[in-house]
Amino acid sequence: MGKANGTAKLFEAKLEPILGTAYGVALRLTRNPSDAEDLVQEAAVNSFCGFHTFESGTNFKAWFLRILTNAFYKRYHKKQNEPEMVDLEDDLMLYLYNRTCEAGLHCTSDNPAEILLRKMDAKQITTAIAELPVEYRVAAAFYFMEEFSYQEIADIIDCPVGTVRSRLHRGRKLLQKSLWQVAEEQGIVAEHSEAK
Amino acid sequence: MNSKMIDQLTCEETFRHLDDFIDRELSEEDCRLVQKHLDICDICSKEFNFEADVWSVVRTKLQRTVVPPSLREKLSLVLQEIECFETDIN
Repeated sequence: MGKANGTAKLFEAKLEPILGTAYGVALRLTRNPSDAEDLVQEAAVNSFCGFHTFESGTNFKAWFLRILTNAFYKRYHKKQNEPEMVDLEDDLMLYLYNRTCEAGLHCTSDNPAEILLRKMDAKQITTAIAELPVEYRVAAAFYFMEEFSYQEIADIIDCPVGTVRSRLHRGRKLLQKSLWQVAEEQGIVAEHSEAK
Repeated sequence: MNSKMIDQLTCEETFRHLDDFIDRELSEEDCRLVQKHLDICDICSKEFNFEADVWSVVRTKLQRTVVPPSLREKLSLVLQEIECFETDIN
């Protein structure tokens, strides 16, 4: 069906408020700015072409992000029915809490988490997220970019809510280890210890 | 959680709810029980606060991502092109 004049402007106006979230999610999924732009553009084209199927009054953001996720899987990864199995080592329980305790961050600050992450920028955190297995990365991207509930994430990525819960909980445990490595590489921990 | 009359959680039981608690994914009753334990247990309370703080800071930093202006321009162009194309063929 052809589009009436002005449909593009109408669509752009709906897209604008969610563009930050869409690009942020795409950046965490694809792991680089150029691919993220391409992915958002592909999702925009797909959703604009299918705009007549969008039910007015329903959640445009969720609808668009679902299309973006499908485009990601189609372009980069064949969607897996079973999540990648990742063995979590026992020492991943409270990994950052325990490491920051050992480093003495809890003795000298009321907010050791802030001390740990203060000097990390979004790019370094994105790199840490990029190391997660793809299914965990997808769940984490939505979790961090918006205050979505597990059910909302499940609806967007089209999988059971229990699977989202498991991927988020396990993904965050893995992410803690990567963040600690970044902190060590950046000298954040050593710097704080010397300053004591 | 077991629905029988439990009104006190151990540290271990509380810890099992850590992720769901900080994500506000627990039922009202389970949330109340966890909170009740945290109110009297300094160690669990410190662990929960630290964990919540970490993800809150990570989220804040990631949400500051700026959309490149070039993306807005590209989107605007491509959408206009599709509109013109579809108008022409109809």
